Amino acid sequence: MGRIETTLRKIFDIPRKHFEPGGRLEKLAPLFEAIEDVVFFPAEATRHRPLVRDSLDLKRFMSMVLVALIPPLLFGIYNTGYHTRLASGMSTNLISTAGTGLMIVLPVIIVSYAVGLFWELVFAAVRKHSISEGFLVTGLLFPLTLPPTIPLWQVAVGITFGVVIGKEVFGGTGRNIFNPALTARAFIFFAYPAQMSGDAVWVAVRQNAAGAADAVTGATPLAVTTLQAPFNHIQEMLASKGYTLASLAIGNYPGTIGGTSAICAAIGALILIAAGIASYRIILGCIAGLLATGFLLNLLATPQAMPWFSVNPVYHLAAGGFAFGAAYMATDPVTAPGTDRAKWIYGFLIGALTVLIRVVNPAFPEGVMLAILFMNMFAPLLEYTEIRLRLKKRIPHV
Amino acid sequence: MNPKHSFPIKRLKIAGQPEHRIEAAPAPGEVAAMPERIPLLKARLRVDTGDRVKIGTPLYEDKENTDIVFASPAGGQVVDIRYGPRRVIREIVIQTEKAEEHEDFGAPPGAELSRTTRPRLVQILLNAGMWPLFRDIVYRSVADPAETPAAIWVAMDNLDPFHPPPEIYLSTPADLRQFKTGLHALNILCEHTHVCKSAKSADLDAEIENRVTHRVRGAYPAEDPGVVHFHNKTTTSENRGWFIRGQDVVLLGEFLETGSFPTRRIAAVSGADIESRYVSTRIGAPLHTLISGVIEPDKYRWVTGGLFRGYSGSIKSYLGLYETGLFLITESNKRELFGFMRPGTNKPTCSRTFLSIFNPKPLSMDADMHGAKRACVNCGNCTRVCPVNILPQFTYKCIRAGEIEEALSHGLLDCVECGLCSYVCPSKIELCHTFQETRHAYFRERI
Repeated sequence: MGRIETTLRKIFDIPRKHFEPGGRLEKLAPLFEAIEDVVFFPAEATRHRPLVRDSLDLKRFMSMVLVALIPPLLFGIYNTGYHTRLASGMSTNLISTAGTGLMIVLPVIIVSYAVGLFWELVFAAVRKHSISEGFLVTGLLFPLTLPPTIPLWQVAVGITFGVVIGKEVFGGTGRNIFNPALTARAFIFFAYPAQMSGDAVWVAVRQNAAGAADAVTGATPLAVTTLQAPFNHIQEMLASKGYTLASLAIGNYPGTIGGTSAICAAIGALILIAAGIASYRIILGCIAGLLATGFLLNLLATPQAMPWFSVNPVYHLAAGGFAFGAAYMATDPVTAPGTDRAKWIYGFLIGALTVLIRVVNPAFPEGVMLAILFMNMFAPLLEYTEIRLRLKKRIPHV
Repeated sequence: MNPKHSFPIKRLKIAGQPEHRIEAAPAPGEVAAMPERIPLLKARLRVDTGDRVKIGTPLYEDKENTDIVFASPAGGQVVDIRYGPRRVIREIVIQTEKAEEHEDFGAPPGAELSRTTRPRLVQILLNAGMWPLFRDIVYRSVADPAETPAAIWVAMDNLDPFHPPPEIYLSTPADLRQFKTGLHALNILCEHTHVCKSAKSADLDAEIENRVTHRVRGAYPAEDPGVVHFHNKTTTSENRGWFIRGQDVVLLGEFLETGSFPTRRIAAVSGADIESRYVSTRIGAPLHTLISGVIEPDKYRWVTGGLFRGYSGSIKSYLGLYETGLFLITESNKRELFGFMRPGTNKPTCSRTFLSIFNPKPLSMDADMHGAKRACVNCGNCTRVCPVNILPQFTYKCIRAGEIEEALSHGLLDCVECGLCSYVCPSKIELCHTFQETRHAYFRERI
């Protein structure tokens, strides 16, 4: 370990002079600093009271989110590979499936990180601040919400929009109103609908495989509505397409790279809550809002209403990207309200809106992305209201 | 009343708890008074280098209220007056004589105490330089003698690591007697004298236990007089209060009984590489006299007055008037390889992101930021630990936006400067320091 450390030390010490003020690569100093800080944790002495500080810093905070993203990421890689090989008529043993999945998913993640990092660096260099760790999360969340067939240039355009318009124009990390990863996805969703929605984008078919073309189109579970299920038979309809509650929860169906598995998202949510990074209030609020609204719509269901009115609310929990959104996107602390009661309301309304968009609006089969972005907009208002209420309880100093 | 506070800080297990014994420190050849450490004070010297002073001779006074004088903690010659930036008086160093003389303040009230009136008692305490032991609960500065406080809080414990608990500074019958005399005097100054004691500290004799009005459960800063005051006040008129530390009540009693300025102190001395114990010393003692054994002095931050509220100094510093704890912590200047990815079985934290939460052993703290400064991500950790229900992240943003009125409505004046918000902030924002500066600026503008 000692030798590795000395070697690494040298790797950073030799080019350091170029990045220092006056050096040739002065503008790239934030990049140098960011990379060095990842390898060698910064050691800076306290100057003000309190003279001791907690070991938790933003790097650790954000890397806990990355840890929590491991289950959906791994499952997403496998699932993508599996459906590709299945549709292409290839064997689906674990190793080759994972290999195929990696071949599809890895470029998307690399492009997302590389292009996003480029923009982060541009803004850090101009504004002369350090690169914020929040990007590590955005750069991985965004690819996991994309269909595996996404063209890489669209990934680049999307993350550019997310980082620049979603975050940096507001002043950078901590000041953005909307979740950058979701802003990026929303941009791609509306700008390039052909590659982001419909039935044909969810499986990346290997063109060279024989006899595959027919198997690749298939409605995602939430898009089954277009098939006009008879009243109160939506569950049977879903089952006939192979979507049982169990398969929805496990998520082994074609869909976004990382967003299909409710179970993986639940594992991630548990990690985040156990580590104290994500707010359990938001996550439980989302679930409560989703179930309550789903149940309410059940009561309103008539044969004339749209088919999803009558689905068991638990299906909403398992289907689509809700679990992923509730666990990783809604809990983004920057864009969520910072006060406790406002978090419950914020979560509840995300759940409620998700169901409403899914059920009532035939244009959008999935609603969680729009629900979260919409509530992002209201988070400051919720927060402000709670602060006002709290301040009323204080005994003022004249 | 039995207020109960529980802050996530209880998860923090700090190594260096002093052993339960009192050791006498060697008599120091010089002691110092440190006007810089008195919050919000604009000091004016009353002595010059070369002057001879007695114990209790006024060394400096408050420019804004010259009735408030600060007594010399030693008898001898003023050998040095050291200044800091902008000519702030840092240290007034006095070389002690073998036979120190005491300033004569007239006959002590002693047994006559019950017949002493409030104005008379205030006058006696001001003259003898005892007044600075009373502190304002809002600004934590020296109390204003012209004011009638809603309550006086006696803080028997100081859980900021580490300070002597009551059973240490009240270990002799004389201490107990003087403590009671002190309490008696407090009752003359204000009829609402509250005595708060941590539920964790050991029981004392029955008479004192009966005087305890508030028993506080919970870790630092639950026992802080400002925190207890905050949770007990019900109206605006109760906002103003004073507080005094338990050990200072003993000094008050000693003064009223003997008539001379008391100088003794019991201090907690802690650190990873030294013998952690309590020492009996005197006000203004040089820090090196508190350490036994050989250490490399420059390796450490010599923190006096607790890890959270304390000041950092070096081996050349002294024990300030209010300071009864010395903690030697290291300043790690080594950048740890892959530091943020390590499981962290020995990293002290209030969070749940390190494996140290499963480590039952007390962990040693260091004077390191443990991270670089970042933008606020609204994580809300500061709100969770704030003992007086402020929303520090929003209050901080108000201050940064110049909205001082808004920050005041958030409860900026309720802030007890405990430092927990800065401690837990993952973005390493200097919340507490900002609040303190703003409070001080407000105090000065208000006058």
